[in-house]
Amino acid sequence: MPTFRLTVNGVPHEVQAPADMPLLWVLRDLLGLTGTKYGCGVGSCAACTVREGREALHSCLLTIGDAAGRSFLTIEGLAAAGGSAVQKAWIEADVAHCGYCQPGMLLAASALIERGATIDDAAIDAALDNHLCRCGSYPRIREAVKRAAQLRRGAR
Amino acid sequence: MNPSRREFLKLGAAAAGGLLLELAVDGTLRAEVAFAARSESVDAFRPFAWLAIEPSGRTLITIGRVEMGQGTRTSLPMLVAEELDADWSLVEVETAMPGPDFQDMRTSGSWSVGGRYGPLRQMGARARAMLVAAAAARWGVSPDDCVTEPGRVRHPPSGRSLGYGALAPDAARIPVPPEAALKQPAQFRLIGHPVARRDAPRIVNGSAGYGLDVRVPGMRFASIERCSVTGGRLRTLDDSAARHVPGVRDVVRVGEAVAVVGDHTWAALAGRRALRTTWDEGTVASFDSRAFRLRLAEASNGRGSLGRSVGDADAALAQAARRLEALYEYPFFVHAPLEPMNAVAHVRDGRCDLWLGTQAPNWAQEDVARRLAIDPAKVQVHVQLLGGGFGRRLGVEHAIEAAELSRAIAAPVQVVWTREDDMRHGFFQPAAAHRMSAGLDGSGRIASWRHCEASSAQNFRDRIDPHDPDLAAIHMWGGVDNPYTYPAMRAEFVLVEAPIPLGPWRAVFAPSNVMARECFLDEIAHATGKDPVTLRLDLLAAGEGADPRHEATRSRLAAVIRLVAEKAGWGRALPSGRGLGIAAHVYDGETTLAQIAEVSVAKGALRVHRFVCAIDCGPVVNPLGLAAQVESAVVWGLSQTLGGEITFRNGRIEQTGFGDYPILRLSETPTIETYTIAGAPRPLGAGEQPVAPVAAAALNAVFAATGKRIRRLPVASGDLG
Repeated sequence: MPTFRLTVNGVPHEVQAPADMPLLWVLRDLLGLTGTKYGCGVGSCAACTVREGREALHSCLLTIGDAAGRSFLTIEGLAAAGGSAVQKAWIEADVAHCGYCQPGMLLAASALIERGATIDDAAIDAALDNHLCRCGSYPRIREAVKRAAQLRRGAR
Repeated sequence: MNPSRREFLKLGAAAAGGLLLELAVDGTLRAEVAFAARSESVDAFRPFAWLAIEPSGRTLITIGRVEMGQGTRTSLPMLVAEELDADWSLVEVETAMPGPDFQDMRTSGSWSVGGRYGPLRQMGARARAMLVAAAAARWGVSPDDCVTEPGRVRHPPSGRSLGYGALAPDAARIPVPPEAALKQPAQFRLIGHPVARRDAPRIVNGSAGYGLDVRVPGMRFASIERCSVTGGRLRTLDDSAARHVPGVRDVVRVGEAVAVVGDHTWAALAGRRALRTTWDEGTVASFDSRAFRLRLAEASNGRGSLGRSVGDADAALAQAARRLEALYEYPFFVHAPLEPMNAVAHVRDGRCDLWLGTQAPNWAQEDVARRLAIDPAKVQVHVQLLGGGFGRRLGVEHAIEAAELSRAIAAPVQVVWTREDDMRHGFFQPAAAHRMSAGLDGSGRIASWRHCEASSAQNFRDRIDPHDPDLAAIHMWGGVDNPYTYPAMRAEFVLVEAPIPLGPWRAVFAPSNVMARECFLDEIAHATGKDPVTLRLDLLAAGEGADPRHEATRSRLAAVIRLVAEKAGWGRALPSGRGLGIAAHVYDGETTLAQIAEVSVAKGALRVHRFVCAIDCGPVVNPLGLAAQVESAVVWGLSQTLGGEITFRNGRIEQTGFGDYPILRLSETPTIETYTIAGAPRPLGAGEQPVAPVAAAALNAVFAATGKRIRRLPVASGDLG
């Protein structure tokens, strides 16, 4: 089995895995980072979203072969990577229902905010419309992203 | 009920010198409660929650209901903590394990809060009284001169105070009072106030543990190939290629399915793809949902099992000056929670540990014990957070699969269903045809109302007897208990068996029946030139009727209709292509609901802008939680209205995932407003209830916007022209 190196939440890892194994399962089953969620495996729900820099991406669609040598941020590392404002806004807006889709939402929302764009409804739709929530937390997600953007502006 | 059993039992030793109280609930009666001594036989009792106060002050509340996003881990402890006057920051909540002390943890039917409002408060109040008594005894003062503040007993005349933790050992030696006074609502610190979800901090940092996140040392991962057709049998299996996939450990036949076991999920999935199987598909392979839809429509013309009859609806229809008829159709749906089904099992030494998110922990325990032929006491169910429930997680077949597989490979194993498995191998909301008929008199008043539903019997766990005399009442939620007054009405149910698994779903049969009823009422309103709100209020004007099951809530229904009309600005002028639609419902004779949708249709594209919801579910325990449930229900109902449906061809489900079974997205979600009336004297259910009117409100709004009457869910792209 080939060996791959990658960095997750600032920590370098070396994993042995088939080259076609999606990053999702590397994180969950090999590195024990279960905060990244499996929802569909085909890029249609975004529950598995992780960040690479300021970009959000589906970890179920990225093979370890392609992920090798790169650096990713998962929900476990979000607070340390400056994402605590988003987390705080999420708690204040009482967003989560079952919570399963929320790690992916938080990573996408934090990436959106860090990109520095204007946070309005159109920007939120563009960043989060591929994120599915069966519980229907959407109204509060919209509110929380706006609140997080305010918190971040206030912190500057 | 035996009063001697209405006692708390203290198990001071078990709580490390603290105070431990136990509450039992007789689950056979919705709100009937027994306080059972733990040392007694508890066969007739179903313990619900324990409260433990440790000398450190840590207050542990163990909840015998599961958390699936509906907020029980917040709302239920609030009830105990309120009357206890607990320091909420010191309250810890844990989910119970099924067993002798928690004999029915089933979480369904929207009655977690409603059924526990009195008992859990009473438990907190009695504990508080014991803590006060302990403090008074220590200070040599009268308990009447003592007060409590969160987490402390105070004696204002002397200025002394002690924390609950310090008092717990003494309190544990005090006899439990048979009754304690409850607070007046004005004294509430928690109930009725917005309280944030307890699990939020763990959810936002990724540490919240769902079933799929369970990791046990030495654990393997498994994916299971099943026949695409219900009831199919494995004919041939060639697993030679699968066994050569890197990371695959084993291929194991589990019943009529084939499990591929790997070192990680990916190996199991890759190995599964390499299996070569052939199947005897059996008789269900001829099932086709398009043909079935026609059968339902045809059957709805016939006579069925009578659910309710007032006057002679047939004669009144025959004599009517004008007749209206419409066919409403409802497809198959599947729950599709974001977390696919999964379970971890570890069978060893004649026992089994199970880790999963389930709405029915006791069923998981019993069914696994039966399959393994061991005592249920040997099956320990470690309940995890549920990544969505919606009725789907009342099914525990994945737990049985995991247990069988763990036994076969002699190792702990996690069975992971894929999204496609989840779409195709669950159970479904039954499709239905509703034949609606109304006879109008010369002045346009409804003289006769007939509602005939053709649908299939739910066959989840216990198959419903097709000859059950209550067949109509069992299935026609909202059809039989139609809240309006008609001179003559008839509700009947024609059984058309479907050979596929059919089971519970959020609001069960109400969305189907209420969609037909509330849309048809809208049709009558428009056909007779009446305002849809006024028509409903007219049909409720008679007030409470003699039939307590169907007619006891008319005033409370009228009240929410008036409130929602006011809040939504019913009757205001709207631009062309925009419309308001109303629907209302009394859920199971209790919670009353009215909703108004505001939609627009432009170039064939439907957009739902706003949903205004009024609900009377009695006093609200947590306003944040209630609004969340209403928002959730509107999104759920709009997914039924605008999203996907399940179709069968050659016995196979055609949908594979969210690509071909779309659910509502953020950009499609309207603003949702929730308004409450506390008309009912005690809290009633609110988790499923608000789903019922959603589709009808939206479809009625589409008619108001476009003049197009849509009579089938979900709305198809061609419906809007």
